[in-house]
Amino acid sequence: MKDFRYVGKPITRIDGREKVSGAAIYTDDIDFGPNLLYAEIVSSPLPHARILSIDTAAAEQVEGVVKVFTGRDFPFKFGLYMKDRYIFAQDKVRFVGEQVAAVVARSQQIAKEAAALVKVEYEELPAVLDQMTAVCDECTLVHPELGDYPHVPWFFPKPGTNIAHWRKTRRGDLEQGFAEADHILEENYEVPRYAHCAIETHVAIGKFDHSGRLTVWSSSQSPHTQRHLFAEALAPMGLTHKDIRVIAPHVGGGFGGKAGVTMEIIPAALATKLRGYAVKLRWTREQEFVNTYQRLGVVAKIKLGVKKDGTITALDHKIYWDAGAYVEYGANVVNAVGLSAIGPYRIPNLSIDSICIYTNLPPGGAYRGFGYSEMLFGLESHMTTIAKQIGMDEIEFRRKNAILEGDKTAYGAAMNPNGLIEAIDKVVEAIDWHKDYQNTDPRKAIGKGFAIFWKAPAMPPNASSSAFLKFNEDASINLIISGMDIGQGYQTVMAQIAAEILGVNPAKIRVETPDTDRNPYEWQTVASHITWGSGNAVKRAAIDAREQILDLVERVHHLSRDSLYLEDEAVKCHTQPSFNLPLKSFVVDGIPTEDGSYRGGPINGRGMFMPEFSSATGDPETSQGGHPNVHYTVGAGALILEIDRDTGKMKVLKAAEAIDAGKAINPDLVKGQITGGLLQGLATILYEDMRYDEKGRLLNANFTDYKIPTSLEVPEEIIPIIVEVPQPDGPFGARGIGEHTMLPAAPMIANAVEDALGIRIRSMPITAEKVILTLLQKGKQDA
Amino acid sequence: MSGGFEYYQPRQLSEVLSLLERYQDKARILAGGTDLAVYIKEGIEHPEAVIDIKRCAGLKGLDVSEQGVYIGAQTTFSELVAHPAVRMDYALLWDCAHSVASVGIRNRATLVGNICSAVPSLDAAPALLCHDAVVHTVSASGSRDICIHDWFRAPRQTARQADELVLGVSFPKPAVRFSGIYLKLGRYRGEDLAQAGLGILYTQQREYRLAFCAVGPIPTRARRIEQLIKGKTIDAELLSQARALVAEEVSPITDIRSSREYRLHICEVMLQRGIQAVLERYDGKPIHAATVLGG
Amino acid sequence: MAKLTLYVNKELRSVEVEPRETLLDVLRDKLGLKTPKCGCDRGDCGACAVLIDGKSVRSCLVFAIECEGQQITTLEGISGDKLTDLQEAFIELNSFQCGFCTPGVIITATELLEHNPHPSREEIQEALSGNLCRCTGYTPIIEAILAHTTKEGK
Repeated sequence: MKDFRYVGKPITRIDGREKVSGAAIYTDDIDFGPNLLYAEIVSSPLPHARILSIDTAAAEQVEGVVKVFTGRDFPFKFGLYMKDRYIFAQDKVRFVGEQVAAVVARSQQIAKEAAALVKVEYEELPAVLDQMTAVCDECTLVHPELGDYPHVPWFFPKPGTNIAHWRKTRRGDLEQGFAEADHILEENYEVPRYAHCAIETHVAIGKFDHSGRLTVWSSSQSPHTQRHLFAEALAPMGLTHKDIRVIAPHVGGGFGGKAGVTMEIIPAALATKLRGYAVKLRWTREQEFVNTYQRLGVVAKIKLGVKKDGTITALDHKIYWDAGAYVEYGANVVNAVGLSAIGPYRIPNLSIDSICIYTNLPPGGAYRGFGYSEMLFGLESHMTTIAKQIGMDEIEFRRKNAILEGDKTAYGAAMNPNGLIEAIDKVVEAIDWHKDYQNTDPRKAIGKGFAIFWKAPAMPPNASSSAFLKFNEDASINLIISGMDIGQGYQTVMAQIAAEILGVNPAKIRVETPDTDRNPYEWQTVASHITWGSGNAVKRAAIDAREQILDLVERVHHLSRDSLYLEDEAVKCHTQPSFNLPLKSFVVDGIPTEDGSYRGGPINGRGMFMPEFSSATGDPETSQGGHPNVHYTVGAGALILEIDRDTGKMKVLKAAEAIDAGKAINPDLVKGQITGGLLQGLATILYEDMRYDEKGRLLNANFTDYKIPTSLEVPEEIIPIIVEVPQPDGPFGARGIGEHTMLPAAPMIANAVEDALGIRIRSMPITAEKVILTLLQKGKQDA
Repeated sequence: MSGGFEYYQPRQLSEVLSLLERYQDKARILAGGTDLAVYIKEGIEHPEAVIDIKRCAGLKGLDVSEQGVYIGAQTTFSELVAHPAVRMDYALLWDCAHSVASVGIRNRATLVGNICSAVPSLDAAPALLCHDAVVHTVSASGSRDICIHDWFRAPRQTARQADELVLGVSFPKPAVRFSGIYLKLGRYRGEDLAQAGLGILYTQQREYRLAFCAVGPIPTRARRIEQLIKGKTIDAELLSQARALVAEEVSPITDIRSSREYRLHICEVMLQRGIQAVLERYDGKPIHAATVLGG
Repeated sequence: MAKLTLYVNKELRSVEVEPRETLLDVLRDKLGLKTPKCGCDRGDCGACAVLIDGKSVRSCLVFAIECEGQQITTLEGISGDKLTDLQEAFIELNSFQCGFCTPGVIITATELLEHNPHPSREEIQEALSGNLCRCTGYTPIIEAILAHTTKEGK
């Protein structure tokens, strides 16, 4: 493989100094002066109710309160893939925590006290708090008007039910496939909801100035999409995109939770009725838990048929999603998995039903992995189980059935080049899988767990990225793009791509957080697609700049274009080694000629990337045809787990994870995603445990009782492995990996628990408590 | 305005006491504030006055001597953890102090504050109960010494009168050689409130003192089990009998942190492993309390 | 309202506060220090960590008024005119991702190294256990502190 100067190197991040010095500005750090107003939300205490009345009189009387707003002020709908959501609840509330009114005041304290004085009268309605109840006949409808909601053409809602979308994927002959099987396994798996727990909560400030211009500062993964949704939602107020500007400062963690639009629309809307003021809304940690996106809950029914030689013949995979009260984003999670729930396997006869079900719980939405973690928990648990049942080594089973380049995906497209086999082999080697991990302590049991994974970006077919690039007088570069560095290192990776093309060190390339007025369009920083999408746009912008430079030098210095190249901030020539024209001498000023006139001028590059082969139009009944996913990223993982037999407490002794990055633009950052993602994945299976009561209230909406890992939870050893089978249409062969690193964690643990203790637990989380209670229960049954 | 209070920073004990006499149960003493700040911010408590005793002169601090241990009202958990004699000679106390939250909390939170907040899961209790500590209070009308076994009345309720300040808590140094350990059930190794806690003190006379926390409305000594195993050699049969008594000694509940069944089970495991660990410590073997339960 | 006088990053500051205002809110909203962050407002996450007279505390659980005359140190004070060697180690080893927990982590690490210049891996993990990081998985942070102390030892 070609060795590059900057690409493929583990360089230090270009945002390091800013973040480590404390200079980095996050949304709540911005000062807006004495005219900043503060909003406090009045939220629903009930999961499902009609709003009979809202009495704001007492709240309005409080000194320092500027105004009190309710749904009547903003009867507008919005939504990314489906318009089912409101800025404030209208006639009904649909989950505990839903915003019903807002008090805007001169201080947060005043707003909070006044909000407590707002009196809302409710008429309680029956609530549906789980998807299996919500999907049955004669059930309370969360959205009786579902039939009227505009949505993207690839969603299939069932009006008159709580089914907001039903993705069906069918290929081959399922009945025949099961008939050919020598062994069939049918099991159900349950995965609850999870919270992102970014350390920075959602926060946004809206300002509507006297010229009628709305600016929103928000902690966001998606400034352009936010602007678009604001424009759509606020169109009835006469606003269009031209009038709306979104500025996205540094983000203190996203994980999908800051994609799309959730609470940000509130201060945006409030501002439009408070001309001249800035209005801030910042979620408390409790609000962050209950009123932002949550990861959807899953009940999965898997029926798998295999031959005795391990060949998979058929898969029937039904997934019922608890998608919450509004599914404008969550329905696409359901869709994405509905197209991919075969996992990274070659399966000739398949049926997938992925059903998005409304419930009276917080809205489900994008969460790192976009449904694949939930799906793979069941599927990879199932694969290990069936391999053992037919007496086959589970690694061999996976190798045998692994999807290869050219094999058909679930919807009939050809699988992209991928290093799945290589990933499996490297993990097996790194973890020393075949070693007999016996231990000397009789109190502990040791188990091994393995899983493979895949994921494709779930995006509309026209998700695009753009880039502007400009040089400064010192040959430094400003890369003007709208992807968000949410921690993954995006800014650095883009700088490395531009650096490689232009011969300028990444340390001299500035990539900063975007402003939708200045920075060209980027769909969203989600889906693990921006290394690929934005990377392609940046590469094109850099090439555009390079072409301008080389054209200019050829024109002025009469050197053949083909002989020129860029290196060390200069234009050099293969055929004339002495030629060295520093970029800084002309990238702004132009090249002076003998007669005193100049040629060229400021070099500004432009690039754009939008896939033109992606299409969401498959057959609604089978999903065949179309090309909804641009490509898949694959990987494998294994871990060695120690379990205390008496307490159930688990410790990951060693974990290895391999991911096929195509080309790791910055290997250190890929490793960072493996370490961080793996721990986040382990947290979902070992510690995080959302508890709702029978009235749909989240009981542990804080870090005291929703446990995310501390530094003491780090596995003893994590071995990150980068596989590189190039993505043909990726920049330098790169494809995305950010979400994927979480995916194998849960099934690895489930498989390791079974290996260690002989118990198969099919629901998450698998806490120490659950292990012991399962063992005790089994003990009673065996007795 | 609600949530507002008068803040006092008295420099003399007499000021503290006269403020308490004046405000009675409408005042709260502020030392570390790690509990009180949360209660006030979340509207659980609405004191009219907050009396910050951190600058009060003349309050005795942490004293570890041949007489025993005195923990003053201003003594933070960090001070306890950092004190070499506590670490070396009072392992049970040290374990309890060290298990509280994290450094940033321990630098402020006081042991006296912990026993005044008196949440059922409080980590300080097992050490104090096993050492038969005494709580020293004072008010404008006099002072009291209250046995720790009479201190805890109900969840978040103690024997403290509204006008009393707790000056400190003390216990004597055991006359014989001893070892101790505190085992705490959390959901992981990081910061957590105890879902079950067991402190064990073992003396040269083969006497065991056992105190549970977080598995009943108040922390208590497990006297039945103490009686059973006193003076005896610990063998599998005895441990089995002891474990069988656990259900009589504790009354755990099911809440969002843990279930009754698991808590009960862990109490039995803690008893068995705790006894083993405390015997090993007695023999000089280094045992890290945080790893006894695995994970 | 009461007048509070205290030292913030060695500078004498004077500000009017209500007793119930936390040190975190006063630092951020009234004194212009933005590096202590609000992550949970309950002392669970460590993002608000600052030093009071050299000891790390959860500034969301301290009422500002308690700090009369005390020395408060925030990351701005540690960064000063020149970043510390510890901070350079963080930068060099990419020991951060979104950066939101970083101020609190550096505050905690600074305190740790003050009284334990050569901590073991486990001691570092223990000291950091009150600082939640959702992005990095902690390993690069621990590595930076270890690398820094190794360098110091040379």
